[in-house]
Amino acid sequence: MDLATLLFWIIAIILVGSSLLVVGLRNIVHSALALVVVFAMAAGIYLLLNAELIAIVQILIYAGAVTILILFALMLTRISNVRTNSNPINKVWWIGVIISTLVGAGIIFAVTIGPHSTVSVQTAYGAGYGSTNSACPLPPNNVAYIGQLLYSPTCYSYVLPFEIASIVLLVAIIGAIVIGRED
Amino acid sequence: MGLSLNHFLVLGALLFCIGLYGAIAKHNAIAVLMGIEIMLNAVNITMVGFAFYNTVKPWSTFLTGQIFAIFIITVAAAEAAVALAMIISIYRKRNTVDVGEINLMKW
Amino acid sequence: MALYEYSWLILLSPIFAFAVILFGTRMWDLATRGRIAAKAAHETEAHVGHDGHGEPDGPDELIHEKGPRGEDVVFEDWEDPKVPQLTMGAKVSGYLSVIIMALACIYSWILLLNTAGLISVAPQLPTQGISLSQISYPWCQNIDATNNCFGLGSYVIAFHLDRLTIPMLVVVTSITLLVQFYSQGYMERSAGYARFFAYLSLFAFSMLTIVFAANFLVIFIGWELVGLSSYLLIGFWFNKKSKPAEDRLSPASASVEAFIVNRVGDVGFIIGIMILFVNTGTFNFSQLPAAVTHMDKTLLTVAMILVFCGAIGKSAQVPLHVWLPPAMEGPTPVSALIHAATMVAAGVYMVGRTWFIFAAADPLAFQVVAWIGGISAIFAAVIALVQTDFKRVLAFSTISQLGYMFVGMGIAAGTAYGPGLGLFHLFTHAFFKALLFLCAGSVLFALHHATHKETQDMRVMGGLGPLMPITAIAWLVGTLSIGGFPFFDSFFSKDNIIAEAYRTGNYGLWAVTLITAGLTSFYMFRAFILAFGGKGGRLGGMWGGTYRGKIYRIAGLEEGNQDKTYLVEMSPEEKEHIKVPHESPLVMTIPLIILMIPSIFAGDWFNFYPYIQAGAPALTVRDVLDDWLTWVGLAVSLIGFTWAFVLYARFEFASVHDYVENRAFLRTAHRILLHKFYVDDLYNWIIKYIVLGLSHIAQAFDTYVVDGIVNGVARLITVLGRDVRHVETGRVQTYMIGFFGGVAVLAILVFALVAFVK
Repeated sequence: MDLATLLFWIIAIILVGSSLLVVGLRNIVHSALALVVVFAMAAGIYLLLNAELIAIVQILIYAGAVTILILFALMLTRISNVRTNSNPINKVWWIGVIISTLVGAGIIFAVTIGPHSTVSVQTAYGAGYGSTNSACPLPPNNVAYIGQLLYSPTCYSYVLPFEIASIVLLVAIIGAIVIGRED
Repeated sequence: MGLSLNHFLVLGALLFCIGLYGAIAKHNAIAVLMGIEIMLNAVNITMVGFAFYNTVKPWSTFLTGQIFAIFIITVAAAEAAVALAMIISIYRKRNTVDVGEINLMKW
Repeated sequence: MALYEYSWLILLSPIFAFAVILFGTRMWDLATRGRIAAKAAHETEAHVGHDGHGEPDGPDELIHEKGPRGEDVVFEDWEDPKVPQLTMGAKVSGYLSVIIMALACIYSWILLLNTAGLISVAPQLPTQGISLSQISYPWCQNIDATNNCFGLGSYVIAFHLDRLTIPMLVVVTSITLLVQFYSQGYMERSAGYARFFAYLSLFAFSMLTIVFAANFLVIFIGWELVGLSSYLLIGFWFNKKSKPAEDRLSPASASVEAFIVNRVGDVGFIIGIMILFVNTGTFNFSQLPAAVTHMDKTLLTVAMILVFCGAIGKSAQVPLHVWLPPAMEGPTPVSALIHAATMVAAGVYMVGRTWFIFAAADPLAFQVVAWIGGISAIFAAVIALVQTDFKRVLAFSTISQLGYMFVGMGIAAGTAYGPGLGLFHLFTHAFFKALLFLCAGSVLFALHHATHKETQDMRVMGGLGPLMPITAIAWLVGTLSIGGFPFFDSFFSKDNIIAEAYRTGNYGLWAVTLITAGLTSFYMFRAFILAFGGKGGRLGGMWGGTYRGKIYRIAGLEEGNQDKTYLVEMSPEEKEHIKVPHESPLVMTIPLIILMIPSIFAGDWFNFYPYIQAGAPALTVRDVLDDWLTWVGLAVSLIGFTWAFVLYARFEFASVHDYVENRAFLRTAHRILLHKFYVDDLYNWIIKYIVLGLSHIAQAFDTYVVDGIVNGVARLITVLGRDVRHVETGRVQTYMIGFFGGVAVLAILVFALVAFVK
């Protein structure tokens, strides 16, 4: 077993374990903390997959901003006895177990043992990044690569989704402010 | 044994299930939100896995999975903000964050 | 031929009278009643009960009421309302129906005399008769030359006139005329006077429809119409209550019973007609005898027996005889017309009409006809031996004589007589039975006036001979006619049937009819002596004697049980109040005198058999007197007369009664006969427990199953709505469970499909 595989297993086990803690702990603040571990471990997985920017963004946004958001919300919606009763489980939790088991089994089955499609891939729009006589050289690192993919005016890029995402963020900001106003 | 796409996909599936359970079976609205976050992370892992293990050129040069993951993170952050604002607003009105009690659309 | 072609006028004249009375003169009567009543009420109060002799004869107490239109109505009893004075409208109703019927009667007699050869105003009628095409009408639009309607068969309203019809016409019109004339006296000042004559005209029309009918359809129409008329006329006094102590129903119940029992017979009738139609394609009486020869013989026999069922119901044979005694609740003229002379004879006439179809079937059909007739004859005769109700004796006598007619119809199979054997007795019976009923009406009318209540029991009659001579003599003539006294009516008609039974080899029927003849003469003469004679009278107790009504009265009526009534001697003060009855007015005695003539001489139409059926032997007095069978029959009926004379004229009625009561065997026999073999009770039981039981089951089915399904569907919807709404909890997590549950189901589906379907 090489280093990548070993790291993967360690990170995966911690990841799954802490996500079980997120849904299992009684104290909701403890759950929020376990959620941070989940985010961190997910970043580790991204690193293993050579997606450095995603890993950094994950830490920044998720483990940073979203966690703080959640903790602030927890603070502002104080429950009476935080230690024991702040994260109760539904009466019909067993339905959740059954459903998630079935869904999970379905996905795993489809992914591993199920038959896979053999449809041929159609030709791309133009040549891709890094091919010898194209106008889009292969960027040196992942950050530049993602930058090229997001903003490049000449090569294949995802500029339009980027612009839309920014509008989404704008709307979310305004929405959150409006909803969260104390009136 | 070497890592293959299947490992990451199975990991994503497991996380998705756990997140689904958390979304269905918890009373606290913020716990439900945390479950949803876990689900989104699971999807992210899957997407990035696809981007890494894709070898067919020229599609593999477009890193589609990673771009997808960027946007998912973006939208998830926006959604978390709005959702938490709503939860705080409901808490102010009703003094509870129990989703079982938000049932005005009951029969 | 014009004489015959216009005979449809006979058919339509009574319905014309009905329409005019119902919509014209009765309306006039009802409109003017208030005025006449107000004028007459105060001046006739002292003279209510005024009869033809001009003596004030009213009851001691009158009931004054206001009628439905505000007019004063004077009640002598609650159940037979009378008005103080008849209005002109009512009287005209009576005159109108009598005049129209008189014209029809004259026409019928002309037809009869002409075809019998006694007068000659028109050429003879062809043997197969003529069809009255002026009033025939095809029911269907697509009738082709053979009267076939869309290929479904022939449905035509057709009438015809032939030699079978003409004696019946004479019977129906003559007796209707005399009854209508008589009713002008019997129904004096009745509040329903105009209605009565309207109904009588309707009945005459219905009966003539049956007589003139050329096919089964029309005869069935007439059949039902006479049933309707009978219902209306029996229930004429619809407010009258039942008298269980005298075993009498209310007229409303009696009319319903008559109609329904007739209906029971009609079920068989219709099925029989349908079988014949389906297999031959025609209803017509002249075409059927030829057409049925192609039918399967068993099926034809079954069909004819079913057709005979209709006759069993209409002519009150066993087992459907139960309606005729209660039908006596109607006014006596109604009983005379319908239940003695004509309607009950419709069954016999119908069998006569279809005689040749019966002849084409298995001999079993005729045997059934004859035996049912024979059984009814003896059954009714033994019951009539012990009846104390005056009209009830006559009712059972009618059943018995109708049995004779069917015996005559049945045993003529294979002989040359055709339907004539039974029809001759029908012809003569109509006259003397009508005479007997009208006499009974006269007696009852007189007794009602004398005692101021309805008295029909023979135990409180007696010695009325000298008091009501015309009625008594008429009754005597009728009794001798029915009993087969030499050279009166039945001597030729009934005794010939009895003799013919022996001659054709039906020895069982011969014995039955012979015994019944003896019983007939016994009970009729018994009735005569109990009413008009008694111990101590002249002629050895036949004429006059003690009027028991002045000595005894019937007690025990309040118990409501016929077995518990008894005679009790009245106190001297009560005896003071009883008046002695006297003869009825002229308007009632003239029909009696007129009817006596055919009662004696109708049997002398010796050519009746060849008249009806060419080739039948005619009666001759010489043949009759030479035949030893005649003497046997004569002897039996004379024994009956003598025994009745010995028993009732020589002994006091009370002593005869005690003799029977003191001997166990006679007492039980008397009880059984008095209760008419408990057949009525059996039918009541069947209806109460079986018929109504089934209907209760059906009702339970309807309430619980059918309504249960309907209400159950509604309740299901309610339950669904009430319980399914809980699915909408309003909580997001529930909806998520549904959503992802669906995903899970799909996942299972994918598993299954991939794993097991390659």
